[in-house]
Amino acid sequence: MGQDTLSAQKRATATALPTTTALAASNARRNPPRSRQISKTFNNIKITILCGFVTILVLRGTIGVNLGSSDADAVNQNLIEETNRILAEIRSDSDPNEPDEPDIALNASSSFSLGPKIRNWDRERQQWLQNNPEYPNLVRGKPRILLLTGSPPKPCDNPIGDHYLLKSIKNKIDYCRIHGIEIVYNIAHLDKELAGYWAKLPMIRRLMLSHPEVEWIWWMDSDAFFTDMVFELPFSKYENYNLVLHGYPDLLFEQKSWIAVNTGSFLFRNCQWSLDLLDEWAPMGPKGPIREEAGRILTANLKGRPAFEADDQSALIYLLLFKKVWMEKVFLENSYYLHGYWAGLVDRYEEMAEKYHPGLGDERWPFVTHFVGCKPCGSYGDYPVERCLSSMERAFNFADNQVLKLYGFSHRGLLSPKIKRIRNETVTPLEFVDRFDIRRHHPSTTQSKS
Amino acid sequence: MLTRCLGARRLRQIRRAFRHGAVTFLCLFLTVIVLRGTIGAGKFGTPQQDFDNLRHHLNSHRRVLEEQHSEKTTTTSNNYATFDISTILVDEPPSKDEITRDPKAPYTLGPRITNWDQQRKRWLQQNPNFPNFIAPNKPRVLLVTGSSPKPCENPVGDHYLLKSIKNKIDYCRLHGIEIFYNMALFDAEMAGFWAKLPLIRKLLLSHPEVEFLWWMDSDAMFTDMAFEVPWERYKDHNFVMHGWNEMVYDEKNWIGLNTGSFLLRNCQWSLDILDSWAPMGPKGKVRDEAGKLLTRELKNRPVFEADDQSAMVYLLATERDKWGDKVYLENGYYLHGYWGILVDRYEEMIENYHPGLGDHRWPLVTHFVGCKPCGKFGDYPVERCLRQMDRAYNFGDNQILQMYGFTHKSLASKRVKRVRNESSNLKMAIRNVNPVNPI
Repeated sequence: MGQDTLSAQKRATATALPTTTALAASNARRNPPRSRQISKTFNNIKITILCGFVTILVLRGTIGVNLGSSDADAVNQNLIEETNRILAEIRSDSDPNEPDEPDIALNASSSFSLGPKIRNWDRERQQWLQNNPEYPNLVRGKPRILLLTGSPPKPCDNPIGDHYLLKSIKNKIDYCRIHGIEIVYNIAHLDKELAGYWAKLPMIRRLMLSHPEVEWIWWMDSDAFFTDMVFELPFSKYENYNLVLHGYPDLLFEQKSWIAVNTGSFLFRNCQWSLDLLDEWAPMGPKGPIREEAGRILTANLKGRPAFEADDQSALIYLLLFKKVWMEKVFLENSYYLHGYWAGLVDRYEEMAEKYHPGLGDERWPFVTHFVGCKPCGSYGDYPVERCLSSMERAFNFADNQVLKLYGFSHRGLLSPKIKRIRNETVTPLEFVDRFDIRRHHPSTTQSKS
Repeated sequence: MLTRCLGARRLRQIRRAFRHGAVTFLCLFLTVIVLRGTIGAGKFGTPQQDFDNLRHHLNSHRRVLEEQHSEKTTTTSNNYATFDISTILVDEPPSKDEITRDPKAPYTLGPRITNWDQQRKRWLQQNPNFPNFIAPNKPRVLLVTGSSPKPCENPVGDHYLLKSIKNKIDYCRLHGIEIFYNMALFDAEMAGFWAKLPLIRKLLLSHPEVEFLWWMDSDAMFTDMAFEVPWERYKDHNFVMHGWNEMVYDEKNWIGLNTGSFLLRNCQWSLDILDSWAPMGPKGKVRDEAGKLLTRELKNRPVFEADDQSAMVYLLATERDKWGDKVYLENGYYLHGYWGILVDRYEEMIENYHPGLGDHRWPLVTHFVGCKPCGKFGDYPVERCLRQMDRAYNFGDNQILQMYGFTHKSLASKRVKRVRNESSNLKMAIRNVNPVNPI
């Protein structure tokens, strides 16, 4: 090895004169015997391999073959996998633990109906109201309203969808608390055949029959937000009507457009006429070939309608167009935004806050901002996600500012979840309650009890 | 050349030393590796951490590339799956004219009010349209609950919050109770479980027509839709919590009462107790120190920062004379019902009992303490928590659906089935609870 060479050189230099021996030694080094050179190299290689082998062994022992899992990570991984599995199960429609029992078969015949035909609802309801004076249908001069909204029973395709459903129901809770409206949030599909946007029909009928004290049932989509917390529906305009829809007569009668009215926010009076209309409306709804076929008819007859299965809005328009008798009791409202298409409104909130005030309900301060097409509960919307969700956040905060005003707070910006104080705390808070509580300034609430 | 400078012998020595040095260095290197692998070397880490760092580094490079590529598409993407909420929420900094509290002054919930009872009484007299009692023996109640304005960390958290608020909407509609769903943090210092204190004070002062404020956690669900709280029982009390006198006053047990569901009367006494309750709340040193005190003083309390429940136990146990006579620790029915002992018995309850009892036979509230469905990790296994929350929700929902002639196919199922033939007979449709519309 190296030591031999060294000792050989030492011996060589020890026995010779410095200069010559140095020269000789260097010569010797430059041209050592071939065999020694080879064996030296061989030995070096052996050492290198041995060291390399030991290093690899040690590293393998510490890092491990799996290259990445230690105890804590394994637990984390398991937890994430378990959560995902449970999520997938929750999201699936199937129920592993139970067989599909036959429901009480009511509609064995081929024609679909929402329920047994009722013919004298007005009289029965009138009788019930007389027998139950503690549940009047008019409270302090205002008709009793029930707001119906809902969402599917499964979690949304994406978690952000559920978050905006939550914000949407909070927004509705706020408006309804201020205006004395009851809410029913429906998460059940009462009729398997009428799923999706049609699910509101059986629920509306069910609520009318179960709540005779309710005068109006107000359906509102889960993607519609109240943006005017002060505005109240002008019921005096609707005394002779039974259905209030946002829509435009020219779009409906002349152009026969499929977006002439909007069924995302509408009101039904609790009466026989409404039950009859629901019965006429429902037949295009049942899932399957009926809905597909109906979709084709609707696309053929309504302007601008894309080809897809029958939806409740197109079906209602078709019904109103081709059985004009219904229009006698339908009020097409467009003096305020009972439904306000979001795209033209959401960018103007700051301008509105500067120039106008709540209570107008129209394009200056929209009553309802409806995010049609955004579909946050699904996987894909008709618009870019970022635009939809930031606009929904803005609408939510715009409305929330009107609620927080009573408490002396406001959002820092229309996209900010944080709030800032706009009024100092005081030891006489009631003066601000008198000034800022929306309920106290409403003409109907300042009347004496009816 | 080198030999001429240094001398052959010197050179040999140097070479030898060099070789020795190399071998030593090699051995040292191996030793360090082995030691790092087995013991670890503190902030210099272990090979595992190195590997992770390397992998992360490489991945982040790759991710940056991917992000740059997809940046153009995320702003126009219609796909909700790839969406990141942080791209739209803006955490704006406080503006110059914002009213803030002086940080050096000791914490208070607000300026001290001393005559709230008189102020409120005068207001009620001036506003007969907003009575504080909507029927004899039925006070006006505001149910307050809430959650964070940001999406839950857990992907199904928001869905369970939604079901929970629907459950509360149903109960409150039947019982004529108004709801306030809070999504705003009123005071950044009192974040977390303490956030309810400034909120409650603000609501009491802004709604003088409300007689009782009912705070309810977002993880608590109503499971008895027919039970009406016995308001007359509390006519001489101002604060009703579920708990046991012995556990609070004698044992000082930190779970002797529960602040997840309680009733607070709108009066001067309540403002005072809120002021006395708040000092342990402010985030940071105050809360941590208070936590240590509470762990020391209360029985069985684990070590963590001060929470509102332990602080209330401590307050009542140490100042019983001041507050005790107006506090009612209710255990005759489940104003708060710990889920662990209730959820497995729902089927048995359905078989043997009926709604309207509110107690262990048919609990009013099932409270999923410790489940934290909105966060990533709770104190219990995820599957048990979520499945049981589904069952509790369906148990309560069945009582609503039955009014309309439906029921869930089972307590675990989202689907509903008809249980009553629809008939036009109105008498079948009338609800049998006593709803009152307060407006």
